[in-house]
Amino acid sequence: MKLSARIAAPAAALVLAGLTATACAPQTSDTSAQGDEKSGTLRVWLFQEVGNKPKEKVVAAAVADFEKSHEGAKVEVEYIPVDTRAQRIKAAFNDPGSAPDLIEYGNTDTAGYVKDGGLADVSEEFAAWDEAEDTDPAAKQSVTVGGQVYGAPLFVGVRALYYRTDVFEDLGIEPPKSQAELISTAKKVHREKPELYGLAVGGAYTYGAMPFIWAHGGELAEETGVSYESAINSGKARKGIEAYTSLFGDDNCPAAKCAAMGGNATVTAFASGKAAMAIGGDFSHAAVEAGSVKGKYAVVPLPGVEEGSIAPAFAGGNNIGVLRSSSHRTLAVDLMKSLTGKKTQAKMFDAMGFLPTYTDVRATVAKRQPFVGPFVDTLGAGAKFVPASPAWGQIDASLVLPTMFQEIVSGRKDVAAASDDAAKKMDAAFADAS
Amino acid sequence: MTAITTAHKAPGTAGAGGSPARRPRRRPASPARRSGWTPWLYLLPALVLLGGLLVYPIYQLGLISFLEYTQAQVSGGEPTTFQGFGNYATLFGDSQFWQVLLATVLFATACVLATLFAGCVLAVLLTRVRALPRLALMMAALGAWATPAVTGSTVWVFLFDPDFGPVNRVLGLGDFSWTYGRYSAFALVLLEVLWCSFPFVMVTVYAGIRAIPTEVLEAASLDGASQWRIWRSVMAPMLRPILIVVTIQSIIWDFKVFTQIYVMTNGGGIAGQNLVLNVYAYQKAFASSQYSLGSAIGVVMLVILLAVTLVYLRLVRRQGEEL
Amino acid sequence: MSTPTTRLRIRRPGRLAAEAAALVIAAAVAFPLYWMVLSALKPAGEIQSTEARPWTLDPSLDSFRRVFEQQEFGRYFLNSLLVAGTVVIASALIAFLAATAVTRFRFRFRTTLLIMFLVAQMVPVEALTIPLFFLMRDFGQLNTLGSLILPHLAFSLPFAIWMLRGFVKAVPEALEEAAYIDGASRTRFLWQILFPLVFPGLVATSVFSFISTWNDFLFAKSFIISDTSQSTLPMALLVFFKPDENDWGGIMAASTVMTVPVLVFFVLVQRRLVSGLGGAVKD
Repeated sequence: MKLSARIAAPAAALVLAGLTATACAPQTSDTSAQGDEKSGTLRVWLFQEVGNKPKEKVVAAAVADFEKSHEGAKVEVEYIPVDTRAQRIKAAFNDPGSAPDLIEYGNTDTAGYVKDGGLADVSEEFAAWDEAEDTDPAAKQSVTVGGQVYGAPLFVGVRALYYRTDVFEDLGIEPPKSQAELISTAKKVHREKPELYGLAVGGAYTYGAMPFIWAHGGELAEETGVSYESAINSGKARKGIEAYTSLFGDDNCPAAKCAAMGGNATVTAFASGKAAMAIGGDFSHAAVEAGSVKGKYAVVPLPGVEEGSIAPAFAGGNNIGVLRSSSHRTLAVDLMKSLTGKKTQAKMFDAMGFLPTYTDVRATVAKRQPFVGPFVDTLGAGAKFVPASPAWGQIDASLVLPTMFQEIVSGRKDVAAASDDAAKKMDAAFADAS
Repeated sequence: MTAITTAHKAPGTAGAGGSPARRPRRRPASPARRSGWTPWLYLLPALVLLGGLLVYPIYQLGLISFLEYTQAQVSGGEPTTFQGFGNYATLFGDSQFWQVLLATVLFATACVLATLFAGCVLAVLLTRVRALPRLALMMAALGAWATPAVTGSTVWVFLFDPDFGPVNRVLGLGDFSWTYGRYSAFALVLLEVLWCSFPFVMVTVYAGIRAIPTEVLEAASLDGASQWRIWRSVMAPMLRPILIVVTIQSIIWDFKVFTQIYVMTNGGGIAGQNLVLNVYAYQKAFASSQYSLGSAIGVVMLVILLAVTLVYLRLVRRQGEEL
Repeated sequence: MSTPTTRLRIRRPGRLAAEAAALVIAAAVAFPLYWMVLSALKPAGEIQSTEARPWTLDPSLDSFRRVFEQQEFGRYFLNSLLVAGTVVIASALIAFLAATAVTRFRFRFRTTLLIMFLVAQMVPVEALTIPLFFLMRDFGQLNTLGSLILPHLAFSLPFAIWMLRGFVKAVPEALEEAAYIDGASRTRFLWQILFPLVFPGLVATSVFSFISTWNDFLFAKSFIISDTSQSTLPMALLVFFKPDENDWGGIMAASTVMTVPVLVFFVLVQRRLVSGLGGAVKD
């Protein structure tokens, strides 16, 4: 008895204090800029890649050029692990003292960072920049929130269809030309070679599933002026969901194994020779090359609904943005331009294999490295982007879409019910964010 | 060291006697207890550190749970607003929260029981083997304990992978998928949690057993008592303070399991079937910087854990053990 | 060094069975560790392959090379060592004093304090990083090793106090009285008699605080924002995690590299753990 009485007192005090002490509110930060100095040190955070040396070299060259043309300016570059980006960048928004002037960030984070008040609006500078004219529309969309531009695209990442040339030859089949053919080919392969998944799919592989929805003319969400409204339960989107989830089953990729898989797992299955086809990114190339299927595979764009069309792919990738708290805005924007300019992007492709965001640069590099051809074609056919809403971060993190796919493939719900539930969750998140 | 030896040989030494479980309550008699300030002096460094670095943040946590507080407020983009119990209402109004809560309680209970059982059995086993096997088991356990949770979970998933893992092959399970069924997925995670948390119990209880005077154990085994009886009537009562601590700690940790579920079931399992409270909180709140909702979940977890712990401590007290 | 007298009473077949069981369990527990090291040594394409062999014909140090080639790897290592070492020693001493206070004295608020020590551990750490962040910022500790040492110390204390309480309590009261009768001062009893007696407990506790500090990712990525020279070892592991393209070989190699110092630390202290009190009482 005594024990509980003793704890009750401090616990109650804690709650009471919370209720009454609103005067002593938790802290906030002031992140507005302090001016626009024309000299001094600029600090840049870039993502640290596995095998970062080539990236460092390209960046160092761009920085050297920048320092030469901007007297009195010094640049300090720091490489941060991708996995720590969320904490670091949020912390930078909260502590301008540690904040850099420029950051590299994943393009799905754009809207969230803008809402957090961290990124500077560079619409004017971007519009006046001649090189920006050749920027791929999907890449431009990934730096745009509410019509304003908050950075410059650094590279894009896109997914296409990897397939096993030896298996296809063996069975006398051709790479599929339409989505219906893709599905029937997948099932045919699994029937003929039961030890292989026809097409490796994953219930948690959102970015692999999106093209199916988009190919049927569906959307994740529609813009409604100020905010977004989920469209995942529209008739067209449901058709896409239906198509994608029809690939889970004993006739292609058994739900027991594939429902839990994410992008990583499907690519691993392909690379280790467990699947005849997989949806992989240009960035998956190295992993597949290292696997047992080296020399026995090729890549084509993921087919759309119409014969010979290409399904719209998700345009992933990274951008570089200027922080609102930067006290060297003009210099920072100039540095952003030289880090994301055509020259640097072309070199970055040679060093790291990152696909350029400029259509003309991309065409040039595709000639040098034929394996990027199908990815460039996919981008050329029009890639798409996730809703530019800060709510997307929450929708992504709370696994709304994976849950939907998994509910369907495990037989818990049908397409209509699962997509209605997902739409409800998405709308709640959109409402919170606006 | 002479003083110690003498003291231990003295008849009636606490715990060495017949039924240590029913030891009478201690009376403040020794000179040390007369001074009112000494304990506070000893506590001073700890209290300064804890006051500043734990009590104050926990107070802030309680405060934030009543506000609207997202990254936009933290960065100063928008003013904070008072929400009353709004965050709590959101939480309790979500039917998934209750399901997750139930799953968490059951899963954590299973983990605590399994961990304590394995830890105690192996600690006793350690006292009965020679140095080499003991060192082998100690090192293996320490290795499991020391492995970063992310890595441990990843390796276990590799081992149990239906396509690439050696375990199914050895057990002849074919391509049985451990993560597809709700219970087999929880079982797999439980095994991993057991693997990385039994070493703490084992090492602690072993250290406790080493601290029991040799004469006591010797006397017991001379009487021809079975290992179970020795544990039951000699070791367990003497190790009580330590067992209480490892139990409470296991409850706290297993209730807050995060990495294992997150990594092994890919963020909470097929359609969220393996969600536990901490992962749920992460998905709902922390990953999207909804700090006020996250704080509310934190406060709820604190209250639940506190309730469980207090009930446990009362049970212990009823059996005569003082806090 | 252990207790030969007890051993003699245990019948031999029983002991052999026990030893066999211990070895089998040790092997089972070590198997995932073996798999971790093995995966670190396998060439990239073999880590997850349909031929899951428990050996590799083509060991490669590439993964380890990727770990060690990182800029400032040595610096991270030293920082981790410094942080974990400081936390272990400081928390052992502070917790020992506090545990003695709450165990060997009666005073008001004793139970409340004990419960508060528990409460501190019940909150999810993620929720506490926000207030802690602002605290560190206002004290100008961000980007310093102090911002890691202080919270880890604070988080390890409640646990250490609870652990040590059990060990301090296990020391018979009669011993304390005997010491005072022999004319020992309170300080002398504390450091020369009680301290060595609870040493096994201190070791068990410090293993815990060492591991939790050593393996921490959350504070390391929340408080060390703009100065990589103050980063700790987990940063060298996090580099290999990337959405949809994790480098498993690198992850396994970095984890192996992180686990080894803990095992070394344990080998250094485990003799103390084994010989601590048992030895002291026997001689």
